[in-house]
Amino acid sequence: MSIKNREVIIMSIILDIIVMGLIKGSIYALLAISFSLIFGVARIVNIAHTAFYMVAAYCIYTVTNYMGWSAVPAMFVAVILSVILGMVIYKVFLNPIREHEGAVLIATMAIAMVFQEVMTLFFSGSFLSVPNLIDGYFIIFGVKVFYQQLLTLCAAALVMVILMIFLFKTKLGLALRSTAQDREVANLMGINESKVAMITMGIAIGLAGFAGAIVVPLEILEPHMWATPLVMMMAVVVLGGLGSLKGSFVGAYIMGFTEAMVVFLSPQGAFLKISVALLIMIIVLLIRPEGLFGVYFEEER
Amino acid sequence: MKLILFYLRKLFAVLKNEVLVLPSRVAVIIFFLFILLLPLFTDDLYVLRVFTLASIFAIFAASWDLLSGFTGQLNFGHALFFGVGAYSAALINLHWQLAPWLSIPLGALIGVAAGLIVGIPALRLKGTYLALTTLAFPIIVTGLVFTFPDFTGGELGISGIQKLAPTRIHEYYIISILMLGLCTIMWKITDSNTGIIFHAIREDEIAVRASGVNTTRYKLLAFCLSGFFAGIAGGLYAHFMRIAGPSVLEISLSFMVVIWAMFGGAATIYGPIGAVFFLYPLVEFMHVIQDYRTLMFAFVVLLVLLFMPDGLFRWLREKIETECPRCKVRNIATRDTCRICTAPLN
Amino acid sequence: MKWLKSNVFVPVLAFVFVMFFWATAFAASDEIRIGVIGPMKFIQGKSQWNGAVMAAEEINAKGGVKVGSKMMKIKLIQADSNEFLSITDATNAMERLITRDKVHFVVGGFRTEAVFAMQDIACQNKVIFIGCGAASDELCNRVAKYYDQYKYFFRGTPFNSTALVKAAFSHVGSTAEVLRNELGITGPIKVAFVAEKAQWADAMVPAVQATLPKMGMELVGVWRPSPVATDVSAELSAIQRSGAQIIFTFFSSSVGIPFARQANELKIPAMQVGINVEAQKAEFWQATRGQGNYVITSSTYARNVECNELTKPFVEAYIKRFGEVPTYTTGTYESIKMSLVDTIEMIGTLDPDKIVATLENRVYKTPPSTIMYVKDNLGRHTHDLKFGPGYATGIASQWQDGEFVGVWPNKWKPAPGVEVTFKGVKPIKIPPWMIKAYKK
Repeated sequence: MSIKNREVIIMSIILDIIVMGLIKGSIYALLAISFSLIFGVARIVNIAHTAFYMVAAYCIYTVTNYMGWSAVPAMFVAVILSVILGMVIYKVFLNPIREHEGAVLIATMAIAMVFQEVMTLFFSGSFLSVPNLIDGYFIIFGVKVFYQQLLTLCAAALVMVILMIFLFKTKLGLALRSTAQDREVANLMGINESKVAMITMGIAIGLAGFAGAIVVPLEILEPHMWATPLVMMMAVVVLGGLGSLKGSFVGAYIMGFTEAMVVFLSPQGAFLKISVALLIMIIVLLIRPEGLFGVYFEEER
Repeated sequence: MKLILFYLRKLFAVLKNEVLVLPSRVAVIIFFLFILLLPLFTDDLYVLRVFTLASIFAIFAASWDLLSGFTGQLNFGHALFFGVGAYSAALINLHWQLAPWLSIPLGALIGVAAGLIVGIPALRLKGTYLALTTLAFPIIVTGLVFTFPDFTGGELGISGIQKLAPTRIHEYYIISILMLGLCTIMWKITDSNTGIIFHAIREDEIAVRASGVNTTRYKLLAFCLSGFFAGIAGGLYAHFMRIAGPSVLEISLSFMVVIWAMFGGAATIYGPIGAVFFLYPLVEFMHVIQDYRTLMFAFVVLLVLLFMPDGLFRWLREKIETECPRCKVRNIATRDTCRICTAPLN
Repeated sequence: MKWLKSNVFVPVLAFVFVMFFWATAFAASDEIRIGVIGPMKFIQGKSQWNGAVMAAEEINAKGGVKVGSKMMKIKLIQADSNEFLSITDATNAMERLITRDKVHFVVGGFRTEAVFAMQDIACQNKVIFIGCGAASDELCNRVAKYYDQYKYFFRGTPFNSTALVKAAFSHVGSTAEVLRNELGITGPIKVAFVAEKAQWADAMVPAVQATLPKMGMELVGVWRPSPVATDVSAELSAIQRSGAQIIFTFFSSSVGIPFARQANELKIPAMQVGINVEAQKAEFWQATRGQGNYVITSSTYARNVECNELTKPFVEAYIKRFGEVPTYTTGTYESIKMSLVDTIEMIGTLDPDKIVATLENRVYKTPPSTIMYVKDNLGRHTHDLKFGPGYATGIASQWQDGEFVGVWPNKWKPAPGVEVTFKGVKPIKIPPWMIKAYKK
């Protein structure tokens, strides 16, 4: 009886880790892949990336709370809004100074701050939340899994599949990938590099917004919610290798499972999950300075 | 007596020919005078507090510039050195009862150690990888702070630290003069051979290595120096605020210093200092529009970046001075000919 | 010269100069200026301001404060400390209040790290500072240790961390009794202790481990989520596995919201009792999407409970004015009205030293409690609040279908022969899924 009990406990811990790891990993994957896209194609380190994720989340809150719409159209609105916002900001603030990488960097920092402040102005610092798309849970192996978690997972997986198809099977995707690989040569090949950059920006922000939209029922909304995902996302990108989409994908799940394992296996040290994940990233980098799948580029002049 | 007159005359000659000739140098003199004479114009404790904090952050920002502006090793976790310096000075002062003038340098030395700990892994990393990795360090240390709350005070921090000086004016002068001194030292470092090597490492490390210079040593030196100065800033902060808590390791602090330094102009030392003294009091005095303060700050940064992407003070300097094409000496922009070699300045 | 035109530096510098040579506007000498400092963008600071406003208006409506032979009105000055985001902002704001706005008294403060620094500034300038938000014991220990320096600090609310914990244990005890009576549980009640990873909660772990067995309960596990965790399903699964019947919570940060929400969504058959600061706020119900039901937390006010004859008038007036039940940070109300103004009228002067000497010996009633300032075991003044029946006890409230209902003290027996019940308390409700799980 006690052996069976222990088995059940171990099974449920493993399942808990799997579920949480998959969800966290998928969200990080969406964020990291979109971040990598922007970096690869437009060479912009977008510190404001998770801030867009936050804007989308607040958008969902506003739409469901004040306009009474249900969650799915709210998601559409949120994604579209963040894409438009992203493109406009890119055009006005980032494009003119694209050549100065340092300036672009802090411009994105400032943009993130602007989003944070605007959200504080409109919603104050209180913690808010958003209704689930589907309420309830189901039990598997003695572990209760929310339907919402499953939904988030499926949505993320679906979008990633669509993204992969887009990038590897369409002409535009090819243009994106080639610009990411070598900007000058892509230009020589007749690809309109700045238009591609703009489109990439739009897609990437859309992905970030989508990530925000699907994860938001599981999270708490507050104006600083962009900071922690930012750190984790950047850790994922670095771990996987900058500019490498495969790396971001793999790195995301590694980080996600690390977090889950820390939380489940050492409940008293659950607050250390980020520190542990970052430590792992540093260790990997010590061994392989370009990340797991990164290609060691020569510094571009 | 005659000796004094001689030196006075020499001083005037230097002033007339070297300093007053260039507006940027005049600006520096005015800045020095402003900092030193401020207490004469106001004895408002609040204003002195704002400028004291500005001095502390100026040292901090200049130390970032020394590392990231000059050697190009972008450090997104500079709050680590500041925080380590602050906590170390606080702990040393609290447990060993050492006076601030001892605890702060000792804390700074621990900051140097932190610099090495970050610098060694950083050697293998380049560019954005380095930047994003350095972000991780203060977060890990924050985790450590929370893991040993009996030692570090957890989220409550370390309180009851000794005061730096008996009165606010004393504190102001100690910190300001220290700031002026340390920043001058940093400036001198960048102006020396070491500084040239730092700059060269940023531009093309392989070429520097090919010239026979041990870049590893210099890169580590940059981390250590930067850690030292930032650690001093941290120690000063702890003794001034009389509390050292997890807020000294926050991401926002790391980001702020990057913003300040880039806003003022990276790789200049005077850029970050100017930026801090411009932005910090500005944001503080905007307390009348408390709700919109940070928003306004972010917009100022964005706008300045749009028009002056290399930094505000760098841009200003370009506007008011030109370099002579023949003898490479700087002249005030209104001149037609170089003051040294009389070549025409277009 | 072209560089002058495009020079943005000089006009801005001029502007900055103008800003700080800008008037320390002549403060009228026949008003008492009280600074209210807190995180004004957040509910904690807003409550502090609201409480102060109510107090000032009530007093000014009566004609003001009688200081000796003069009548002086109260002028409130708001200062946003922004302490959640920046300690330096908090100290700057405090310094501004004292040196520029020249306030006579300051009330407020919330985040402990900031309050330490604010306490230093106030006491340096010999300005009486009543803390209305920070519970750290050390704030008052300093008063005892360095009395001459720190005597200007008094604690307004809440009572200190040690007392908060004692109160929480009492709440757990009452809940355990209800469970025993209603569900017929024999044997020790199983308790899971969940405390956010924060220093103030760290000392609790050994305390809980030592005390619960003495109360006839069994500690089945200790969990420490991050104070800002948003997903605690991990901890909840483990808690359910442990068979806990009570979840003893120690949350002061946002984790209180997802914990309550997910625990209810997962229908964990256990009662949540303890400290959940987020659950004290009116927006808790919305923040948990209505899943915050049956959560019990320590609190200061609930609409149905009266501590003394001052409670109900204050609560009703506050609800009428601001539309929500007050939380503990409205302690600025009694700090101004009862602690400060009453003392001033008693001795007829604004002299801080005299006020301190009188105030620390007073015993007086306030809407949430009766205040007496304790001395430590060496007989030194700490200016800390006395916890215990007849003094400050706080209450515990439970969310029952969208209403925040006071449920404790209800036949609370703190000592043999002593029983305390506040007027208007309602019984604790047990979640239906828990009743189902245990009645079968």
